[in-house]
Amino acid sequence: MPEKRIVLENCGVIDPSDINTYLSRDGFKALEKARKHMTPQQVINEVKRSGLRGRGGAGFPTGLKWELCTKSPEKERFVICNADEGEVGTFKDRYIIQNDPFGIIEGIALAGYAIGASKGYIYLRAEYHYLRDLLENAIEQAKTKGFLGEKNNESFGIEVREGAGAYVCGEETALMESIEGKRGEARYRPPFPPEHGLWQKPTSINNVETLANIPHIIFRGAEWFSQIGTQQSKGTKVFSVSGDVEKPGIYELPMGTPLRELVEELAQAKDLKAAQVGGASGRLIPEEKLDTPLAFETVLGAGAVIVFSKGRNIIQVVRRNIEFFAEESCGKCVPCREGTQVMSDILRRFSLGQGTKEDLTILEELSNAMMLASLCGLGQAAPNSVSDSLLYFRSEYDT
Amino acid sequence: MSDENLSLELEKLCIHYKRHDDLLSFIKKVHEKCGYLSPENIKNVASLWNVSVGEIYGLTTFYVFLSTKPLGQNVVRVCRSTPCYLENCDMVIETIEKKFNIRPGGVTEDGKFSLQLVSCIGACDQAPAMLINDELYGNLTPGKIETILKGL
Amino acid sequence: MITIKLNGSNVEARRGMTILDLCKEKGISIPTLCYHPQLTPTGACRLCVVEVEGARTLVASCHTPVAPGMTIQTHSPKVIQTRKMIVELLLSAHPDFCPVCNKANVCELRMIAADLGVGLPRFRTKKRYYPIEDDNPYIIRDLSKCVLCFRCVKACREVKMANVYSVGYRGHSSKIIVDNDQPLNKEVCRQCDVCVLFCPVGALVLREERFRKISRKPFIIKG
Repeated sequence: MPEKRIVLENCGVIDPSDINTYLSRDGFKALEKARKHMTPQQVINEVKRSGLRGRGGAGFPTGLKWELCTKSPEKERFVICNADEGEVGTFKDRYIIQNDPFGIIEGIALAGYAIGASKGYIYLRAEYHYLRDLLENAIEQAKTKGFLGEKNNESFGIEVREGAGAYVCGEETALMESIEGKRGEARYRPPFPPEHGLWQKPTSINNVETLANIPHIIFRGAEWFSQIGTQQSKGTKVFSVSGDVEKPGIYELPMGTPLRELVEELAQAKDLKAAQVGGASGRLIPEEKLDTPLAFETVLGAGAVIVFSKGRNIIQVVRRNIEFFAEESCGKCVPCREGTQVMSDILRRFSLGQGTKEDLTILEELSNAMMLASLCGLGQAAPNSVSDSLLYFRSEYDT
Repeated sequence: MSDENLSLELEKLCIHYKRHDDLLSFIKKVHEKCGYLSPENIKNVASLWNVSVGEIYGLTTFYVFLSTKPLGQNVVRVCRSTPCYLENCDMVIETIEKKFNIRPGGVTEDGKFSLQLVSCIGACDQAPAMLINDELYGNLTPGKIETILKGL
Repeated sequence: MITIKLNGSNVEARRGMTILDLCKEKGISIPTLCYHPQLTPTGACRLCVVEVEGARTLVASCHTPVAPGMTIQTHSPKVIQTRKMIVELLLSAHPDFCPVCNKANVCELRMIAADLGVGLPRFRTKKRYYPIEDDNPYIIRDLSKCVLCFRCVKACREVKMANVYSVGYRGHSSKIIVDNDQPLNKEVCRQCDVCVLFCPVGALVLREERFRKISRKPFIIKG
């Protein structure tokens, strides 16, 4: 399958600092259509029928999330655009913001209309501070044109909030804690954000890419969208490819495209040993499994693909991943706080060739415990690359 | 800035950010103004925002972009997550260490530069990459690093 | 009233109660560390995890409310193994001088470890050693023994309404702090021992009790 651009349709075509170039490509037509001809429930139904699922990694059905927000009797509701793209190897959200900020704004406004939100937030990671002016300029222009703010009887406004350097703040509950001015520690669930989210109000929190899909779905209809992709994963996915490839960068492909096509044909990987799909918390795919289709039902995550060529030592890579989690763990729950530390100690021993059989048993047991018992997605997904490397590259852990 | 002017300015900032209910941005602004969050600053912020000192200190030490120790005028943040690791981020770190004679986490003697090692900065297509203050620099080579640092 | 399948038998539960509340009512004991009946749940220690059918992961019983039709296993092999690993993790980060700790006989961590049959941990990890804070007249704080259950933070906030403690740093370096990470020496702590009562381990001790012998039955590992 060749590249198919939906989310990235306007990237490189429009001028991200000029709303008129966006308007000339049917920009904000979806918002107008929704506000004039559709009820909020109809918007939600359309998104539900499209089969769109969250692009941040978890893959929760977007329409359902919105509907859950509207079920709450609470009238003050929020939309949050999660632009805290911390996952190692992901840079698609940066690319989308840099090239098409208006698409995101339209998506947030549509989400706001659908769930009846009074306000939208864009939580931008501190590392992307250089994108802030661009985003705020885009919001300002959308306001001047009357798509946001007081005019048009629509009082929905968008505010940019910035993080201060913490990977865990990409986790939805930690992100909300951070906006509230607290340490970015994950909250326990239930209650889920659509019920008690930001400031305990119903909140829909969606990834940049998810929201960038919304205008296209509303404008062209759910039928059109749901024809693309696989049974359980509709539409396209934007992939960030990095590592040992000739052409690292952003690629948008229909869901279900085999991994081989992305890394070998498009990104031109040579002598590939393995690819990690989904960033540091993603799955490790060995060369022989490269024909795995990329979709929620198989492997996807946030769409980060890091490629390792034959010369790479898998233990070193896995060790780097776990060290990353040890640095980024919020420290609240025991399995993640202590587990990542123990794991990185053991992996250090293995990388020096000093690992024992006992260490392997502990690694396996610890991976299980962390996956099963950690408080949030960070700790639950942290051991993924460890357990995959034990499955596919056990010989490298030669003891 | 004199102490009196500073506290006056903090008060103004506090009113602005309180309206938005945005403590983190307030702290970041103070950090930007003073270069770091001294115990004195933390105390001021806490009393202005009406929370305990421990709360503000806890917040500051949680986020890597905030510091309770003085930083250099330019903060160099080198990414060492997997994609940059594959593209030899150690070379970047070593080059900077040698040039300034500092270790990660340190500040040069003239107070001009700090070096920090950070997690993925979302520039994996341009690995190895680093941030200097808020500016992104990618596809680094020893020569390129030299030129960039000279230009500051 | 809703019906729930608990360890194979149907039981009645009230809406809104947590799985832990239900288990307590039914006489099923579940180990807890960060949970305390007088405090709001934290969900930090993860010792109280149970298996709920259909859930992707185990769920912590202390903060998960019961729902109609839930099928819960509180002592399945998966649950026990996970709890044991968590205790091992806690012990590996905890100093091993129990014999000279004056809370040794009333230490909740030891009690849980004994119950689960966990002895010495199979692995070592970095321990958090801090100087003992004994220069204040009321409470002696030895953070090396702290298991980061956050009960002192919550007790001070929710029971005493004093807010002396906060959480500082992050990840493995997380620490219960006072002001700018200063030794505990606050006037509000005069005649208040709330946090000491809530501390499950030997991290917080009243000055006058420091060297007093606290006797209890010995713990025997049931294995």
